[in-house]
Amino acid sequence: MSGFGGVLPWARRTLVEQEQWITAEEFSAMLGICQIVPGPNIVNLGVCVGSRFAGIPGAIAAVLGLMLGPVALLLVLAVLYEHYSYMPIVQGMLRGVSAVGVGLIASTGFKMMRAELKYPLMLLVILMVIVAASYFHLGLGWVVLIASPLAIFLAWKKAKRS
Amino acid sequence: MSALISLFLKFSAFSLLAFGGINALLPVLYDLSVNQEHWIDTQTFSDYFAIAQAAPGPNLMTVTLIGWNVGGVLGAAIATLAISWPSSIMIYFLQRTIMGMQDKDRQQAIQFAAGALAVGLVLSSAWQISLQINHSVAAYLLTISTITITFFTRWHPLYLIAIGAILGVLGFI
Repeated sequence: MSGFGGVLPWARRTLVEQEQWITAEEFSAMLGICQIVPGPNIVNLGVCVGSRFAGIPGAIAAVLGLMLGPVALLLVLAVLYEHYSYMPIVQGMLRGVSAVGVGLIASTGFKMMRAELKYPLMLLVILMVIVAASYFHLGLGWVVLIASPLAIFLAWKKAKRS
Repeated sequence: MSALISLFLKFSAFSLLAFGGINALLPVLYDLSVNQEHWIDTQTFSDYFAIAQAAPGPNLMTVTLIGWNVGGVLGAAIATLAISWPSSIMIYFLQRTIMGMQDKDRQQAIQFAAGALAVGLVLSSAWQISLQINHSVAAYLLTISTITITFFTRWHPLYLIAIGAILGVLGFI
């Protein structure tokens, strides 16, 4: 529930620093895998951590624990939105928040891109994805399908080199 | 009822393509819920996005809100479940395979490839979504300022969201 601005920093503090359920290295390794697999990152992380302690029931418990509080609060906000969204002040506030929100997503993308600069050829893959998705408006499945061969080829070379 | 089934099937399919998480998926969500299925209009999508960003919790909340709009609490639960279950099952099996891989080159190659796809998808998502939700020069300036500030400072995102909300309430955006 204290996951303002994303749950990840909080998850790390609880799991690694306070409860010491897993080590920092384990957390980073798990997070690395959860971020490369498609799907909601935090749900993936819940599955990884939960299943490590108690198999499938652990995974389900972890994900439900992560989700129930925020979803309940969110539905309260949704009801408030239904009642008050006609007010110009609320509309203005939401416009401001969404403009910031999209900026936050873009900066996440740019920060992730920094890591790619170590092997600049990989920028080709990023460019290819952006052009396919934003210029040609291809569906997500096509974008992934088209960019994957080059991504895998370059990733293999990059891994061999390091 | 058929809307709920369609919601479940489509969100389930997206779950397995969402390299880079829900942030990468936003344009697809927009296209599906606004253009194809007409569940909500552009304004509502953009408002749901704002609420999901401002509320505490994982960033898949936009999905939950779209589900709520389609079918109330049941719809919210179905949408959230649909976006989570296929990738959850996949990661459950994949984490052992990847972490146990003997060939470290191959393990790294998988991470590099998926990482590059994720960067591309997240950036194009931000680009496409900004075209839908920003309607004024001031809104674009706010988006660009957000990117700049996060690059040069270590401010908590919540402060930026609060600033955005205040500027919006004052009528600047």
